[in-house]
Amino acid sequence: MSSATQKSSSQDALLRSGIDRSLRHPVMFFMTSGAAWLAVSLILGVISSAKAHSPEFLDGCGWLTYGRVQAAHTSALIYGWGFQAAFGMIIWMMSRLSRQECRASGIILTAGHVWNVIISLGTLGILAGYGTGMPWMEFPSFTWPVITITYAVIMVWSLVQFKVRPEGHVYISQWYLLAAMIWFPWVFITTNLLLHVFPGNPVMAAGINAWYKSSLIFLFFVPIGLGMAFYLIPKVTGRAVHSYSLAKLGFWSLAIIMPWAGMQKLTGAPIPYFIPYLGAAATVLFFIPAFTAAVNLLRTAMASGDIVNNSPALRFTTAGIVGLIVMAVAAVFLNLPGSTLKLSQFSLSGYGFEMLSLYGFFSFVAFGAIYFIVPRITGREWLSRRLIKMHFFISIYGIMLIAVVAIFGGLQQGVGQEMFDQPWATASTRAYPYAICITFSWCTILISNIFFFMHLMVMWLRLGRRSNHPTLLVSAHGHSPHGEEGDIDNAGPGTAAAH
Amino acid sequence: MSSPDPQHSSKPDLDESINVTKAHGRVERESAATAREQRIADNGHEPLALWVIVACGIVLLIAGGVIGDAGTLFSYGNTFKEGYVRGKAPGSLEEGPAPKDALAAFSAKGQKVYSKCNGCHGADGKGGASYPSLAGSAWVVGDTQKFAMIVLNGLQGPASNGKTYGVMPAQGSGMSAQDLAALMTFVRNGFGNSVGDVVTVEMAENALAISAAREKVGQAVTAEEIKADHMVMLEGEPLDPTTMVDPAKLTPVE
Repeated sequence: MSSATQKSSSQDALLRSGIDRSLRHPVMFFMTSGAAWLAVSLILGVISSAKAHSPEFLDGCGWLTYGRVQAAHTSALIYGWGFQAAFGMIIWMMSRLSRQECRASGIILTAGHVWNVIISLGTLGILAGYGTGMPWMEFPSFTWPVITITYAVIMVWSLVQFKVRPEGHVYISQWYLLAAMIWFPWVFITTNLLLHVFPGNPVMAAGINAWYKSSLIFLFFVPIGLGMAFYLIPKVTGRAVHSYSLAKLGFWSLAIIMPWAGMQKLTGAPIPYFIPYLGAAATVLFFIPAFTAAVNLLRTAMASGDIVNNSPALRFTTAGIVGLIVMAVAAVFLNLPGSTLKLSQFSLSGYGFEMLSLYGFFSFVAFGAIYFIVPRITGREWLSRRLIKMHFFISIYGIMLIAVVAIFGGLQQGVGQEMFDQPWATASTRAYPYAICITFSWCTILISNIFFFMHLMVMWLRLGRRSNHPTLLVSAHGHSPHGEEGDIDNAGPGTAAAH
Repeated sequence: MSSPDPQHSSKPDLDESINVTKAHGRVERESAATAREQRIADNGHEPLALWVIVACGIVLLIAGGVIGDAGTLFSYGNTFKEGYVRGKAPGSLEEGPAPKDALAAFSAKGQKVYSKCNGCHGADGKGGASYPSLAGSAWVVGDTQKFAMIVLNGLQGPASNGKTYGVMPAQGSGMSAQDLAALMTFVRNGFGNSVGDVVTVEMAENALAISAAREKVGQAVTAEEIKADHMVMLEGEPLDPTTMVDPAKLTPVE
């Protein structure tokens, strides 16, 4: 391709450097506390998954019964890790793309602390038995107004930055970020009002709850992950996004199709008959926005295969995009009426799909973003390529196992659930081996993220490598552990390739 | 960095204590990651690949099929598919409820029909001060035709024990032959009664015919009428109480 760009001028570098410095406290806070919440969520996930096949595990502790620990696991994963990683990515990327320093980092940092307090209260509330029992909205209902306000205080500055941006066209990432920033309050406030303030028919309430889950994935985590990927891949490879028209198709199809998805969970329930099928069709159609965006990004990235392989940021991001393709295929595969739809909604399959979206796609892109952003805001390079590789490979194998095993094991479980003349235990027996495998996979993912968390802590303490050469994932047999460029604090400007 | 090169040392120092070269080196190092970044390039204008369009088209077709299952869109009144008939259940439940012997099956159904008699004769059939007891009543355990006439038309005047209670209203409206057969079998074999036979559906049909052909149609029967016309068993093929029957249809199963 001929569109490789020149290095930007030193003026630009200064501006970027200033933006990064203005944001270093809030972004670093969101990323480190997000990573800590990820670890908490993974520990809870291991416990809840273990209880699915060995109910006697930790059965002496009322706080750790399955219903509570499973709810705490997903809530910590979504609001503790997912949202905080998203905040870090959004405020950083919006500042960069609007080419302005952040003037409210103190307020954002404070709001970030409030967010952590309310999430902690919510999680403790769930474990103490005060959960609402509504999937993904399990925090006790007093939390939602606080969450809404805190979210607004964190996000509004990015909207302001966008509003006063210098002239110029709006980049693809900004479409996705702006849309997600506005969609989430719409979805969150609507569902909470309809479920907590003006409760209606309880069957429909279950449908609204299912719509919330689906919308959180498709209208928040997916667009934010895509926005980040559309930023990182062209940034690191220095190539233009493969096709602008494909990007437009991907964005607008996402915006038009995905709000319809979600209610397929209520197939067969006494709600208006067409609604679940409309939801199933919309979820099937998720393939179009996901696949077009993924092809676009992979085409852009794979034109520079070496960079993708060597750069930690790109390796994680690209893996996340592959996860998005798997997710798109699974969305089609799990929503076919007459075969999989009835098997997938109350079994492990649904969980597998959710984890595929939250971890297989979103978290991988977020890891990529963290590996890219943290060296810029701390002024230090990642300490060890081996830790990054461990994180990458163990995570990849773990999430692949979870996705494959949960999706197919869930279908087996669903077949068992459909046999209504058999005792319910039949369905559990069918899911038993798969549940064991999922516990094992969560353990591996937990181990990989312990490496990640330690590494991030080191960076947070500014103990990273003081070098002007990036930490790349090249194999270095017989070389210095930090690559051919040299050792720690080799000082002086060098001529490293752009990464 | 200890030996500053001449080019740099010629620059004016703002402060004697700052080694500009060193400071410059540090700044460069701290923002090295930022400095080596590239600008995001303009958008590419590659054409849409045919295979991407084909793949999306296939998924559109699948989604169209899913929507096809949705019936009429936006018809908020329908909670199930138009013309939906419950499919056959897999497994053993498909044959319907398990067969029972005739006495048990008729009695079980009769017990449900008896719920309309509960109010006066009581759940235990003992009646009370103002209602006659069914337990041990001669008209209950005796000839079936008179029992049927009382159930269908009600009773006026003295009961089998000679005492006069109030007027028993007719129970026959809306009662099918099956209901009547089941009810009579239940009462004749419950509450301590143990006649041991089954009043068949055929017998109950005959009873309905006889009841419709009475001289005083629409009036409750009296002790005199019973003694004059109805002191016989209902006609019909007797059914062995141990025959296995379908508990819902009350027909013998092969």
